[in-house]
Amino acid sequence: MRGKDVVLDGVQITYPNGFTAVHKTDLRIQAGEFFSILGPSGCGKTTILRAVSGFVEPSHGRVLIGDADQRGLGPNARPTALIFQNLALFPLMPVWQNVAFGFEARGVSKRERRAKAEELLSLVALSDQAGKKPSELSGGQRQRVAIARALAVDPAVLLLDEPLSALDLKLRQHMRAELRSIQKKTGVTFIYITHDQGEAFTMSDRIAVMNAGRIEQVGPADHIYSNPHTAFAASFVGEANVFHGLIAQTQQDFAQIETAHGAFLARNPRNLSQGDDAILFVRPEAMLMDTAENKMVAHLERRDLEGPFVNMVMRTETGAPVTVYLPNTGVAAAITEAGMHLGFRAESAVVLPEGALARTGTEEMAAQ
Amino acid sequence: MNGLLRGYGRGLVSIFFGAVMLWAFLLIILPQFVMLERALTKPKRQLDSSIAAQLERDAANCVAILAQFQTPVDPEPENGGMAVPSASGMAVPSASSMAVPSVSGMAAPSATAQTRPYILQCDRSTTRKRMVRNEGIEEWLNDLHDLPLLAVSDDQPLEDQIATAEQIEEIAAALYQDLLILEANASQLGLGNFSALTQPILIPLSDTAKAEEAGKISNKLLGAAGLRYVENGEVYARIPMIILVRTLVFALLATALALVVCYPIAFKVALGTPPEKAVWLFLGLIIPYAIVELMRIYAWTSIIDNSGLINQALLWMGAITEPIQFKRSALTVFVVIVYTYVLFMVFPIFNVMSTLDRNQIEAARDLGASTWRLHWRVIIPHAKPGIAVGCIATFMLAAGAFSVPRIISRGLQAEWFSQTIYNKFFESENSNIGAAYSFAYTLVCFLMVGLFMWIMRTRLKDFARVQ
Repeated sequence: MRGKDVVLDGVQITYPNGFTAVHKTDLRIQAGEFFSILGPSGCGKTTILRAVSGFVEPSHGRVLIGDADQRGLGPNARPTALIFQNLALFPLMPVWQNVAFGFEARGVSKRERRAKAEELLSLVALSDQAGKKPSELSGGQRQRVAIARALAVDPAVLLLDEPLSALDLKLRQHMRAELRSIQKKTGVTFIYITHDQGEAFTMSDRIAVMNAGRIEQVGPADHIYSNPHTAFAASFVGEANVFHGLIAQTQQDFAQIETAHGAFLARNPRNLSQGDDAILFVRPEAMLMDTAENKMVAHLERRDLEGPFVNMVMRTETGAPVTVYLPNTGVAAAITEAGMHLGFRAESAVVLPEGALARTGTEEMAAQ
Repeated sequence: MNGLLRGYGRGLVSIFFGAVMLWAFLLIILPQFVMLERALTKPKRQLDSSIAAQLERDAANCVAILAQFQTPVDPEPENGGMAVPSASGMAVPSASSMAVPSVSGMAAPSATAQTRPYILQCDRSTTRKRMVRNEGIEEWLNDLHDLPLLAVSDDQPLEDQIATAEQIEEIAAALYQDLLILEANASQLGLGNFSALTQPILIPLSDTAKAEEAGKISNKLLGAAGLRYVENGEVYARIPMIILVRTLVFALLATALALVVCYPIAFKVALGTPPEKAVWLFLGLIIPYAIVELMRIYAWTSIIDNSGLINQALLWMGAITEPIQFKRSALTVFVVIVYTYVLFMVFPIFNVMSTLDRNQIEAARDLGASTWRLHWRVIIPHAKPGIAVGCIATFMLAAGAFSVPRIISRGLQAEWFSQTIYNKFFESENSNIGAAYSFAYTLVCFLMVGLFMWIMRTRLKDFARVQ
């Protein structure tokens, strides 16, 4: 099994009702790469997946897999395999027949496909479950059956549509490692769709952040996290404290931004000029308590224990919400509701052009 | 059970169970038992006692009629010859249920007292009566009950005749009373009514017709199945059995055709169409269903009549010169049955199919399955309970169809078995045989449904998925 490149060449997907799910997109996914598309629900990431797998034909542009144009090829003729969000295992077939379905469709004899299915099941450590029905398996086992079934057709590209979302946290963490190791073992190109940045971060070689039918940024996880390119990427990936304002002055790679909560200095990767509308983003873990830089006064509203760190929900004297992560080493307990000085280093903050932000929890709730 | 008690309380649950038991008893168990009892009981007129009773009646009538000839008859009837038949008709006061055809105008003109014309009742007044027994068994009343061999013969003097008839009447009356008591104490159950199902019936045919009929494939098939045979140059056919088999075969074919028609429709509506369009398809399925069954069937007559749509169109086009007799074709009944009951096939299949996760279809496609394999391996196994329910419902409705063959064929073609049963009950007044037929038919259909479920590997619990 060897992975292949996947190229979206000016792909645009408009549905018959006129809704454009995916705007003109160019994307190159390398052979053998674990590539994630990260975005909120309804951003068009599943549509891209369906365009690659062949269930949706792009309105414009083309999809190339291993330099071969896939136009006009149905899902059964493409070198791809799809793992569905609900897995879509065949409930009436035993596990081995599920896995062997791809062989069956290719006309492999029964004896041979049973042997091949056993082989694949041993790859996902399920050899002893071959005769059971999917409903008799646990969530993680079903997951692995779905992977084995998809790998049976010897795909160059494996497409995964949020397959872990139904699992509980521990199992999800375990399956991440498992998926990663299967990908390494087989060398197949994985395209992984998720709205969970944790999944995208831990597994992916590269991530594409997507919003409203457009890919906002593509890059390795840590690059996106520390150098977001757009306001959406900065707000959707990880937590961020957000201050809207105007650029007051620029100096080399830095810019001074004038906000309602004070004037702050931050990196200026997009080369904003004086007078531009801008947003300042600073990660909660970059907030410091004893610093002279970018100072503000805030008081504590709530303290949420996350385990390894404490999430301090605070509000500045001017009314802006600020989140601060403190390592759970006892420091947080000392902080009282009384006003305290906060700040951050200019290097750990960034100003980006004004643009759409990811929905906050409250907005998400209202939308769903 | 505990769940029911918790949810509805003791009162409601007992009412519910009471209602269910009552229903099961009154509408399922009891009718079957009544049918079975009737089916196992000999028809009353075949009983020995009714032969004796008939003999008693005949003898009494014979006496009454012979008495007419004894009284001097006015040789010149006032009203002329016309009045006599009515007068003589009136003169039979014993007015048994049977008509007295022999005492017609013939009697009066032959005023000679000693010789008499043929009198049916007197002819039947003999102790040598054949009993109603199964085929091949010959038993006579006088042998069976040790009676003197008596008969009213017309060459004896009238007084002797009357005396003999009176003696016969007496013997028969006494025997009748004895037999009534005997029969009341003995079990009258037997399988005789069921054997009527396979009874061969002589088919009177001319020699040319015999030769012609013998060449027909259908008759050869019947012959191979043992349902038709030739004995001593005469053709016999086990007609009720032929009707039964024919009806079952047609019902099976109708079910198969309905399945073939409905599967793609159900698939299209349930899975192949976006929901907003499926509403229209669904409406198209519902509307014919909302019309009363009789109307639905009757509407066909405007199409298939001799002056109906098809014949008129064909005549107008010059394709035919004589109207095609659709009413006489079993195929027409078959088609209308499929049309009438097709919806009982569509809806169960549709219901189950619409519960199939569409992702499974996409998954199968993605794994390279052809359309055929997709249906065979994914959709049909999922829809199987619906297919089974639809097939069972359609089969039972087609097998029991009464209004369709009746309205469409108007008696112009062979009966369906449900018509045979109806006729046994309400036309020939032989409800014991009717009960035997209907019980046997229920049993056969039940076995066929069981066989079907076994072949389809459907278990009862699968039906829970059909809603």
